[in-house]
Amino acid sequence: MAVFMQSLISGILIGGVYALIGIGLTLIFGVMRVINFAHGDILMVGMYLTYIIFTMLGIDPFVSVLITFPLMFLFGGFLQKVFINRVLNALAQNQILLTIGLGLIMSNTVMLIFTSDYKILTTSYSSSTIQVGGGVSVSTPLLISFLITSAITAALYWFLLKTDTGQAIRATAQDRDAAQLMGINVKRMSIIAFGLGAALAGTAGALISPTYYIFPQVGGVFTLKAFVITVLGGMGSVVGATLGGILIGVTESMSAVYVSSGWKDVIVFVLFLLVLLFKPSGLMGKSRT
Amino acid sequence: MRKHLLALGASLALSPCLLAQKIGVINSMSGPEAPIGENITNGIKLAEEDLKKKGINLQLVWEDDTGKPQISMSAMEKLATRDNVVGVVGPYTSACSNAVAKLAEKYKVSLLIPAAAKEEITRQGLKHVFRMNAPADKYASSLIDAALSLGKPKTIAFVYENTDFGTSTSKTAKDYVATKGIQVVSDVSYPKGSADYRSTLAQIKSKNPDLVFMVSYVADAILLMRQSKEVGLQPQAFLGAGAGFTTTEFAKERAISESVISCTQWTDDVSWPGAKDFGTRYKAKFGKEPTYHAACAYASMVIMAETARNAGGDRAKTRDALKAGQWNGVMGEVKFADYEGFTNQNNHQMLVQQIISGNYETILPTKFATKKAVYPFPKWK
Repeated sequence: MAVFMQSLISGILIGGVYALIGIGLTLIFGVMRVINFAHGDILMVGMYLTYIIFTMLGIDPFVSVLITFPLMFLFGGFLQKVFINRVLNALAQNQILLTIGLGLIMSNTVMLIFTSDYKILTTSYSSSTIQVGGGVSVSTPLLISFLITSAITAALYWFLLKTDTGQAIRATAQDRDAAQLMGINVKRMSIIAFGLGAALAGTAGALISPTYYIFPQVGGVFTLKAFVITVLGGMGSVVGATLGGILIGVTESMSAVYVSSGWKDVIVFVLFLLVLLFKPSGLMGKSRT
Repeated sequence: MRKHLLALGASLALSPCLLAQKIGVINSMSGPEAPIGENITNGIKLAEEDLKKKGINLQLVWEDDTGKPQISMSAMEKLATRDNVVGVVGPYTSACSNAVAKLAEKYKVSLLIPAAAKEEITRQGLKHVFRMNAPADKYASSLIDAALSLGKPKTIAFVYENTDFGTSTSKTAKDYVATKGIQVVSDVSYPKGSADYRSTLAQIKSKNPDLVFMVSYVADAILLMRQSKEVGLQPQAFLGAGAGFTTTEFAKERAISESVISCTQWTDDVSWPGAKDFGTRYKAKFGKEPTYHAACAYASMVIMAETARNAGGDRAKTRDALKAGQWNGVMGEVKFADYEGFTNQNNHQMLVQQIISGNYETILPTKFATKKAVYPFPKWK
């Protein structure tokens, strides 16, 4: 029972961070219909940013989210304005090539600056735990990052549902042309959406860094994960990405214990295929015809 | 006068000792294995410099396999057919080396593998494939022998990444503990790069093993130990086989790495000729501590280059000379022998080490020991 609870809890906690990565990707796809293959690399940039802030300024990784979030927002907005905007009406494969290229440039630039060495952020609480009882322990940094993730997700929902800009973003996601006809500045919405997506990925990077390790190629792992989460939840659906993230986290953690950790990826992908088979638009997605 | 100069130039170009030896290098210079690949690259660069001082000029052809066997194979094809190299040093990972080995045999090009651990690589009777480092079975047997000489462990749990290196090391370890009467209570493989091993480790903790045997590349080692502390896994000893447990980054994480036992192919405090000097010069040139991969790569390149030079750049003669030769350098005595089903395998002496006060200290074999072992593993703070 202790093992079950332990894996359920760590699955949910890690799933929270996955969700944050997925939400960023789904937001970008929803608004722009561009599949962002550089998403993991943006997350990686966020990790290095956290690392610099931590080692140079001595600011705690969780506090540094306050700096990372706006910086990554600007970075995302810049990418959108300078690069992505130019290919919005291009063929899908050209958009994919562009984002893959941007990702390669990011990871190789970082490799040039920081070398390919693994960086580990060691904080005073990196391996500390809170005992819940019954032999179950919760990792302190993971718990804090889950709380921050929840707060950010809640704030994002509020932003998308209640504010004018949020509604304009949703309108652009629903129908770009109609939104433009209604007087929404869709170019600006695109920049905001990409900025937000990048900021969320960067924040996820910041939140993972105290418990994970940092290296220039770390993005690939998370790009793949973000895709599974996004497609599973339904492309463009923020609720779906949240659900998808938690679902993937728990599935990984459970299958590691009850099947074999070597097989956990297989189980995640089988689950993914099953969802696609029976609900092709994803858990929360609406099929578009 | 001009004619003389021309003649001199021609004779210089043709004389075999001044002719640059064309040697291929396949290495993981980018991709997830790049941090270790960098050590191999640096070791080879240092060897290139030293050889130049000895009057052996090298023309190295560098190929980056990004850690993928298929890219490694095409690199080998290119080196063997287009670049016409005398021999090849590399690749790094077991998966790549195993893939490339058969091609080396096909093209009759000597392949000297510096640091891949999978046993099968030199167990296929391939005449052109040589290996510098001790294979995976040595990791397992030297670590378990160390634990047996320190205490009386009865049970063991295995955690290893599901790559060629991880599975082959733990498979031999499992066979070995069976002969020693230690019971395997847990046997878990994991895909590398996972962020969360807590559930797996909690499951292992519930079995309460005396020994925990882990096989991981670089950063997973730190995560595994951090999360072991989190879930309160408390065996008599943590045995770390291979790359991830023998890096300075790992040793620096003192809260979680102290007293972990690992084994290595090489350290700079061992009494092999030139080992200390290699360590100092490496640090001076590249600004960081060399790992054993660097020393393996250095020794491999020196041996390959000297042999190729003596063989006048002839592929067949180079192979025969590698097979017949014997060397003594930073890696101790090197000889590519046939034993216990291995072909052209250097029977290398592994060193068992433990992290004591944040430093790697050799604890076994006794003649190389620098500190006394700490056993059992101290309680987590």
